[in-house]
Amino acid sequence: MIDQLPEGKSIGWMQAPPQWIFSHTVRFVGVVHVVIQDGEGFILIKKGKPLIYYFKHGRIELRGHAALDYFNSQPTIEFNLCKYTPEEFSQALKICNVEKTGPETPDMRRKAPDEPAQAEVVEKPTEQLPVISRPEQPPPVLPERPEPVRQIPVTKPAASVPKRILIPQPAVLEEPDIKIIGQIKKLNGIVAISVFNDDRNILLMGDVEIEPLLKIARTMLATTNKITPHLDWGSLVHMTLQIPEGNVIIAPYHENHLCILTTRTINIGHIRRILRDLQQDRSQGVIL
Amino acid sequence: MLKQILNKFLILNDVQAAIVIQENGEIIESMKSGIVINEGLQEVLSTIMLDSKKTAAQFGNASLSMFFVEFSDYFLILGPVMEEFYLAIIAKNTANIGQITYEMKKNQDAIVSLL
Repeated sequence: MIDQLPEGKSIGWMQAPPQWIFSHTVRFVGVVHVVIQDGEGFILIKKGKPLIYYFKHGRIELRGHAALDYFNSQPTIEFNLCKYTPEEFSQALKICNVEKTGPETPDMRRKAPDEPAQAEVVEKPTEQLPVISRPEQPPPVLPERPEPVRQIPVTKPAASVPKRILIPQPAVLEEPDIKIIGQIKKLNGIVAISVFNDDRNILLMGDVEIEPLLKIARTMLATTNKITPHLDWGSLVHMTLQIPEGNVIIAPYHENHLCILTTRTINIGHIRRILRDLQQDRSQGVIL
Repeated sequence: MLKQILNKFLILNDVQAAIVIQENGEIIESMKSGIVINEGLQEVLSTIMLDSKKTAAQFGNASLSMFFVEFSDYFLILGPVMEEFYLAIIAKNTANIGQITYEMKKNQDAIVSLL
């Protein structure tokens, strides 16, 4: 079924808790392609309303509640938001056999993540799906995904990965923001880009473990907080740490921060210009 | 002699200061133009040297290659020269960063030989 869906216009691959999708797609019409370990699936969404949940792992197919439960069991999932035109959306509805007025899974967003939903397993699984454990191997690279880039080794933190998802705050990033972040991610030499605040990661695009990267980003942020009061040099544009493997850049972004992980070959001048432009737009009150 | 090398940075467009500094905050030599190197700035440099080294070590004990912090008016580039010695360049944001980092690499051995 996944292969039959219209391709749509990709906004970009990202990594976030499943609940993030529902809180950030109020004006979105299209499909969210989801990849978890060796399986893949999708959520068909019309203006914040999920119409179909589907996931396939080998011979096992999950639909509706079962697929949603599986998505919700992951602390974060990798996904690609693909916008549909009205024609593409109609085509997707036909492929999924959805009546325009009757969604398969009405308003599943309000369901608490630890409240079990009724399973709708199409084919009885011969083995248990790995619900909470993290993959030993990275998920397979799909043909339409961005080119894989060299990953800078990041030491793992002592803390273990939380086993339940964190429900994010109400929408903090709008679709234009996601587009901007996606455009930066597409630049040559960008390994990963994250939008984060003091509490949590809001958005991640790229194949890295977010927690070790966030730990480093927060350490850098602490350094900026220590030095800024002593300097009358204007507002912070960015802080860049260069090591032999590449660069880590942090920069203010609205009320949040960006953390960008790059290869060594990145054009720093280009990144500087982008970060300066973002801040100028912000100071001029341009809505991104 | 060290002053002569630091002066090569100062003649670059919009560079305000070139400083060789030890990790403990002691300034070994400096050349400046239109900027005051006060206690506050020394504290900033000390903080950056210590924090950036620690942060780089979080990447599987990676060594620090360069540290760069940019504000809307000025930026600061700090690069390790040898062991506990660093070269810091302060410039207006209109300065050519590529030229500065090129000169830093080019003059590193000469600075080391004088420390």
